[in-house]
Order: sequence, then structure tokens, then C-alpha cells
Amino acid sequence: MNAPSDPDEVVLEFEAVSKWYGPVIGLNQVSLKLQGGITGLVGSNGAGKSTLLRLATGQLKPSIGRVLVRGEDAWTWRAKALVGYCPDNDAFYEDMTGRDFVRAMARLCGFGAADANHRTEEVLARVTMTDRADRQLRGYSKGMRQRIKLAQALLNDPRLLVLDEPLSGIDPIGRQEMLELFRGLAAEGKCLLVSSHELEELEKLTDHVAILARGRIAALGTVSRIRDLLDDQPLSIRIDADDPRRLATMLLSRPDIVGVDFPTPQTLIVRARNPRRFFEDFNELATDETLRITRLEPLDDSTHAILGYLLGGSGKT
Amino acid sequence: MPPELLHYRALGGVTGGPWRGVKAIARTGVLLLARRKFFWILYAFSLMIFLFYFFGQYLWVFLASHVQDALIRTGGVFGRLISPEALIKSLRDTMHLDGSAETFGDFIWTEGYIAVVILAFAGSVLVGNDFQHNSLPFYLSKPISRRHYIFGKCLAIAMLINCLTTIPAIGLFVEYGFIETWDYYYDNFGLFLGILAYGGAITISMSLLLLTTATWLRRTVPLVMVWTAIFVMARLVQRWLVDGIGLSPRWRLIDFWNDLYLFGMWCFGKDHRWLRPTNQEQPEYWEAAAAIVTVCLLCLLYLRRRVRAVEIIS
Repeated sequence: MNAPSDPDEVVLEFEAVSKWYGPVIGLNQVSLKLQGGITGLVGSNGAGKSTLLRLATGQLKPSIGRVLVRGEDAWTWRAKALVGYCPDNDAFYEDMTGRDFVRAMARLCGFGAADANHRTEEVLARVTMTDRADRQLRGYSKGMRQRIKLAQALLNDPRLLVLDEPLSGIDPIGRQEMLELFRGLAAEGKCLLVSSHELEELEKLTDHVAILARGRIAALGTVSRIRDLLDDQPLSIRIDADDPRRLATMLLSRPDIVGVDFPTPQTLIVRARNPRRFFEDFNELATDETLRITRLEPLDDSTHAILGYLLGGSGKT
Repeated sequence: MPPELLHYRALGGVTGGPWRGVKAIARTGVLLLARRKFFWILYAFSLMIFLFYFFGQYLWVFLASHVQDALIRTGGVFGRLISPEALIKSLRDTMHLDGSAETFGDFIWTEGYIAVVILAFAGSVLVGNDFQHNSLPFYLSKPISRRHYIFGKCLAIAMLINCLTTIPAIGLFVEYGFIETWDYYYDNFGLFLGILAYGGAITISMSLLLLTTATWLRRTVPLVMVWTAIFVMARLVQRWLVDGIGLSPRWRLIDFWNDLYLFGMWCFGKDHRWLRPTNQEQPEYWEAAAAIVTVCLLCLLYLRRRVRAVEIIS
């Protein structure tokens, strides 16, 4: 039985972990500590997300360093008993029913026959698949497959739940249900590590993200905290004004402005190095000078933009 | 829907260790195979062979105990009277339905061919698909290791093989004791051990061979082709090499099924000179055993490499 959840307990810990695939490095000196709650994992293709998830679930052994789940080496079966994994691929035994598949996975978790049946019904109910679980897997929609995968990940009541693209292929109503479910699991003190390309969905779920870039953790924390750390990075701001060239001339005299651009005659894109100081200065400027500003919009007030900064412009996901 | 309405509760039970997962893997594998019609068709063939031996043994004992001195007239233009004892002796020497080492050896040999065909088709279902469709993460993220995965798959294959060979052979052994005398069990306990040893050798070697070829080839058609090469082509080639162009009998060692048969006869304590067919020179028993061990070691070496590579390809 898993011990009661302590929200302050470190559930997943990477200690200077590196992983090589032959001469190719998949993860480079990653150190990470996760407690209860939801953490989003984002990064471009090839950034090392899958490697990190597989290390966390004990499917890979680190080349250097240690991966610990509640102090247990993630490679051991005791650690795996604390982890639930919902992979991104959905290669099932297609002629099995959903119920049979989840039951088989329950037996694999080490449950006896009666417990496996009982637990199977519980997790199927939790992902709202009870009434559809007797159909063969080959007849399932993408969303139903995602639910079945989630169900098998919940079987052992895991302390750490690792979800690889869990919202992929689910309709909007289903998404809302799944997001509610994830929030409910996090509220129980579980640690959820959610990898997704759906950054907007991820931001609805949590503002605590880990950003991976080229095998390294580029940033970890809340989106706003990461933004604070980005003060030295240029921030793009769109300004619509009646005389953008005059405004640009005034702005360029400020030390934090590193560049301006004119995508349209009425629009100015400013790149500022210290966003907070820039906005303070801009307030003074806008009130002192006789300028008519019709629009002021940071172009990167989202994880997308943070990615762009951190990955040197290659942060498209 | 709020979680509290979904009848979900935190886990209060205790899960077993990884060896319980091994059983689950084996059980899942066998159930997957049991869903296929071809398996039941081949299993029916296997059952027919068993029933032939089962009733054949009974018939032989029945004839031996009831037909004593009377002569039997054979039919046809050149009909003649023959002694029933001579007929029974002929049946016994030809069909070996007398509860002897040959009975069990021949039975396992024959059933083994059905097992080989089933395994050739089952390899992709049991093992290959996990690699082909990348479903290993479902297994390996559960509280088991790669070693348990291999054990589980081997156990599934072993269950199949033993259901077709060892267990029916033990059934024949028990049956013969019932229809003859209880002393049969005491006098022929070595045969019982021989059945277990022969069945064990087939189980271990065939499990490893199937696991190896299935992880290598993954798909059914290549798997069937390779198994045909191992169990049919190799047999033809060894006959041509030894009987055709007169090379050393050691060339028969390339026929893996023959190696297993020789090992089985060794376990039954059968004299090397009386192996069927008697006009064929065979390698020594120990040489056959060494060939089997070599194949098993090669399979283990390959599996070790392959399973270490799983983390790259999965």
C-alpha cells in the first residue's frame, strides 16, 4: 500500500543525470526535484522529453547520475510500484476488450485475481469508461484509448503519475473532464508530470513547467518565475501608435531597448532587455509625450514565447 | 464529473512482487493465443495423436491379455494363418504402444512437431508484436524488470509446449500403469524421470529459441520461414550430408529436433545402438546434449544483447 501523500515530500529526483544512446546524448546533467502537484514538461522535438519520462518510469537506466522515486532507485520494481505511466503510443492487444486489457495490467502490477477485478472497475469508473469497457480495443476512438491508458496508469494508486501527451486526440468535453481528473489527482497530493505539445492546454492545467532544451532543463518553475529569470533576455512588445517612427526614436535612447521593427506602418515591435524596467519607463514616456498609443501587447506572454527565448528561436513545438 | 462520484478510492491492498507479474505475462500470452482459431485446430491435431496413443496402448494390452493361442486367418488370395503373438509383437515393434521408452520418445517426438508449428505461428503473437508495435512500455513501466518480462514470455511458451508434450506423455505413463500393473510405476520410474527431462529440455531450448527468433524477426512470415529452415531444411540437409555423401554422423547435429530426440533417448536410458531408424548412424548422446546447450547459450547471449537494446528501440 502506498503511504499517505505528503505534499512537501520529494517524489521524483534527478541527480545530475545524463543518458547517452551510443554517441548521442539524450539527457545532459539534468538535476530536478518534483513534489506533489502538476508539473508540465515542454520542449521541442528531440529536446529529451521522452528520455526524461522513460528515466522517471524506470524504463531506462541513466548513464550517469541517479533517478529516485521517493528515495528508491527508479530502476527497481519497488520504485516502479509507486509510478503510473501513460505512454504516448497506444499499441495495445487490439483483440482484447478494454476491461481485459486493464485487468491484465492490474495482474502485471502484482494484484491477485479478486483485487485485480476490483481495482479494474475502480479505475475504469474514474476515467468514465465502465460502460464502454467491454468493446474490443480495435474499435476504440483515440480519446477512448487515452482513457484506457490512463486507467491502467492509475491501477496501483501511484504517487508519481507520468503522462505523455495525455490530452492528444480527446474532444473538448473530454479534455475538460480529463483536466478535472488531473486536478483531482493533484489535489490528493500526487505528483503529476505531464508532457504535452498542447502548451495552451498545459497552461490551463498548471503554471509550473519544466522546459527542456537540447537535453538540459532550461527552466523550472512557474511561468511568472521563469519570466522573472528572463529579465536579461529581450522581450518582444507590439505597440500600435499614430507615429511609430517617432516613438521608436525616443525608445532607442533607452539603454534596455535592443531593437525595433516596423511590420506595418502603424505598428512597432520593440525588443526590450529588462521587461519590468521597460514598462515603468514606457508609462512615463506615454504620459509625458504627446503620443497616441492604441495598443500595447507583449508578444510572448505565454509558454510558447518562453520556449522561443530559451531555445534561441527554435522553440516551436 | 467530480472524482467522489466515480467510486474511486486510494489503493488499500498490497500488491505482490514482480514474480506475480511474471505469471500475469504468461497468462496474458496464453490467453492471446487461445483467441486464435489456428491454435485450436492444431491443438485438435495434437489431441488426436494423444488419443491414438491413449487408446492404442489400451488396445495393445487388451489384445495381449485376451488373444492367447488362437491362430488368426489373414484375408486375400494368399490368406494364411498367423500367430497373434507375432502380430502383437509386430504392432509393438512398429508402433511402440507398450509403455516403453520408445512409446514416450516417439510420442513426444510426434507431438513436438505440432508444437513447433504452433510456436512458429505464435511467436509474433506472444513476443514479436511487443517489439513490432512498441508496446513494451506498458510492461516495463510496471513493477517488473526486463528479466521478469523474459521469464514471463518463456513461461507462456513453456505452458504451450508442456500442454502438448510433457503433460500428455505423463498421462500415457499413468494410463499404462493403470491398465497393466501397479508395479509398472516402480519398475519404470526412470521413464517418468526421462519424460520430465526430455520435456524439460524441449521446454527450455524451444522457449529460448522462440524468444530469440521472435525478438529478432518479429513478424509471422519470416518467423515461419526461419523455423522451417531450422526444423525441416536442416533435417534434409543433414540426411544428404551423412546418408548421401557419407560425411561424419556429427553433421546430424545441425538438425536441432534430432538433437533433442537423442537427448530424450539418453534420458530414457535407451541404448544408442537401438535408436530408430536403426540403419542410421547417429552422433553420440553427449554431442547432442552439447549442441542443445550451445544453442541455448547462443540464444541467451542474443537475448541479453537484445534486451539491453530494448531501451533504445522502445
